[in-house]
Amino acid sequence: MTFPIWAKSWEFMLAVVLVVELLVLGAINPTFLNVENLLFATSDFIHVIIAAVGLTLVIMTGGIDISGVSIMGLASIVLGLMFVAGVPIGFGVLAALLVGTAAGAFNGTVIAKTDINPLVITLAMLFLYSGIATGLPTLLDLLGFKAYGAGGFQAYQYEGISGLPKSFTWVGSGGVGWFPMPLIIALTIAVITGWLLTRTRFGRFLKLIGVNAEVARFTGVPVRRTLIAVYAINGLVTAVAGLVLTAYFTSARSDLGAEALLNIITAVVLGGSSIYGGQGSVLGTVLAGLVLGFLRQGLLALGVTSDVVPVIVGLLLIGSVGLKIGMGVMQTRRANREAYDTERLAVAQNGG
Amino acid sequence: MIRVLKSREFLVLVLMVAMILAVAMVNKAVLYPITLINIVNSSLFLMLLAIGQMFVILARGIDVSVGAIAGLSAVVFALVLNAGVPLVPAMLLALITGLLAGMVNGLGVAFVGIPPIIMTLGTLGTYRGMMRVLTGGSWIESIPQSIKSFAVTRFQTVPLMVWTMIVVVIVVSVLLWKIRSVRYFYAVGDNADGAYLLGINVRMTRFWSFALSGLFAGAAAIVFVGQIGFVPMQTGNGQELKAIAAVVLGGVSLMGGTGSIWSAVIGALFLTSVDSMMIFLHVPGSWNNAVAGFVLLAVVVSDYVIRRAVRNRRLAARAAEMRQSDRESNDGDTPDFSRELEATP
Repeated sequence: MTFPIWAKSWEFMLAVVLVVELLVLGAINPTFLNVENLLFATSDFIHVIIAAVGLTLVIMTGGIDISGVSIMGLASIVLGLMFVAGVPIGFGVLAALLVGTAAGAFNGTVIAKTDINPLVITLAMLFLYSGIATGLPTLLDLLGFKAYGAGGFQAYQYEGISGLPKSFTWVGSGGVGWFPMPLIIALTIAVITGWLLTRTRFGRFLKLIGVNAEVARFTGVPVRRTLIAVYAINGLVTAVAGLVLTAYFTSARSDLGAEALLNIITAVVLGGSSIYGGQGSVLGTVLAGLVLGFLRQGLLALGVTSDVVPVIVGLLLIGSVGLKIGMGVMQTRRANREAYDTERLAVAQNGG
Repeated sequence: MIRVLKSREFLVLVLMVAMILAVAMVNKAVLYPITLINIVNSSLFLMLLAIGQMFVILARGIDVSVGAIAGLSAVVFALVLNAGVPLVPAMLLALITGLLAGMVNGLGVAFVGIPPIIMTLGTLGTYRGMMRVLTGGSWIESIPQSIKSFAVTRFQTVPLMVWTMIVVVIVVSVLLWKIRSVRYFYAVGDNADGAYLLGINVRMTRFWSFALSGLFAGAAAIVFVGQIGFVPMQTGNGQELKAIAAVVLGGVSLMGGTGSIWSAVIGALFLTSVDSMMIFLHVPGSWNNAVAGFVLLAVVVSDYVIRRAVRNRRLAARAAEMRQSDRESNDGDTPDFSRELEATP
């Protein structure tokens, strides 16, 4: 039995896994299969998918950006502070997105201009941005600005900056028909980045840099500019994720999304991207994010405590990569065997 | 001697002393011996994690699960202590827990071939989840006094744990300096293929680097339980990133093969003293992370700038030398050639 080529792809396997997962969970608990519920349930984990889509582009170049989880908090707190300062919410969103893009571009600039491992740089940035996000309100407060919103410092510590206008929180909880806004935003971003990656020169540059940055440079790819751009895009996309999360929780906090790092990287890697660069797809990342998110929700709905979920997610991450490595080994072995057989046949024919 | 003075470890040490002296100008209390001893004492947890991390990074891996391993070991340690197991066997159990957890990482990385960051991210979630499963999500309190009294016992006003740490550091540095099989970590990290061709068992070296990292995380768990006296669920949360930051700050390259135990020790001391200095300067604690991140960024970037400047100067010198010798040989060549011509007939 032969499969068409698209059926052998990693994305197709993920789609099958997703469908099977939903069917199994639905068989155990039929209320789970309500389409509207399913779609709105994505809001719980959509920020992971959005951030993972941005990270896919970065990992495509063989780099990594772990500071994204801090950029989420930073974008959220910038929006909150703007809101407290009385700036119209639209400008607040714009400022938060700008800060996110600038943070990403800063990552990219340092990474492109030095030969330091991206992991080290974004590790430093992870601390730096999260420190700025937690420190900014205290600093502004010291300087005499009212930085804590209506409830003062106590309330800020518990619930962040709340009281955000309805027009903004609608982005987190509202929807168009059956489609919740966060999902629409995520899919829009996924379509745009997917288009960037597969249909533009920029996307091919990313892939080429991931395969071999040195060769890319000699081929005339503007490596530095491309790197700065891709990290800036990642910053922008993560800032969007932070804002969507802010709208969903209806309050701006500096530690929003800080727990998401494991899930984000798992989604990217499970989605078929190679951590060494040059391989991966946005579609795979989105599907993997959905598989992970629904798995988590399904387990919770089945009464598994939330403590066990990271165990399963972790094992899934290791297992998926192990499986890929195993498949690779099998493939080379089969190729070797075929080559050996044809060679032997040729020798035998020559001899006869 | 010159080599020591030029090293990254020394640079960071000088920076740290300068920072402490600068803060001392504002607040003299920093220089009291007891303050300094307390800084060292509170850096022990991070230092142990960093030393373990150092082995992994030397062999060109990375281990982001050390914080979770420390948490898991701390839970096991506290649980068996509460079950009435005496102190020493309980400590051994904590160490073994760490070792086993590290060995799992090592198996995945060295023998299955999973990239280190993926493997340890996976086990990070797994161990952290197991920790909660073991305790049911609640804190472990009412730990026997024996371990706490060990933590507060002082000899010559220096806590016993610090003395133990000094011994550990000396032992590890001697091992890294004298024992060949320990030096394999450098060889594998610098050039795995070359190490393989030299007959070094690359896989086992990788495996043991992760196992050692787990072992040291287990030791860190003992320190943690002794010093804090209870085990919250956040134990070790985010510490893996701090440990990597400490090691990198101290001069261990993520490309493997360079660095020493002093990198881990000084890096951990630096990050801890940054936190303490913030307190002495009355800066709100919420800025700690920002300062730590800024210091790490500044050190690695300035290290790069210095390295590039040195390399450029060396390249320029070599280019000048070549040009010089070119000119000389050109100057010399022509007469030589003519003289030869004259001499031939």
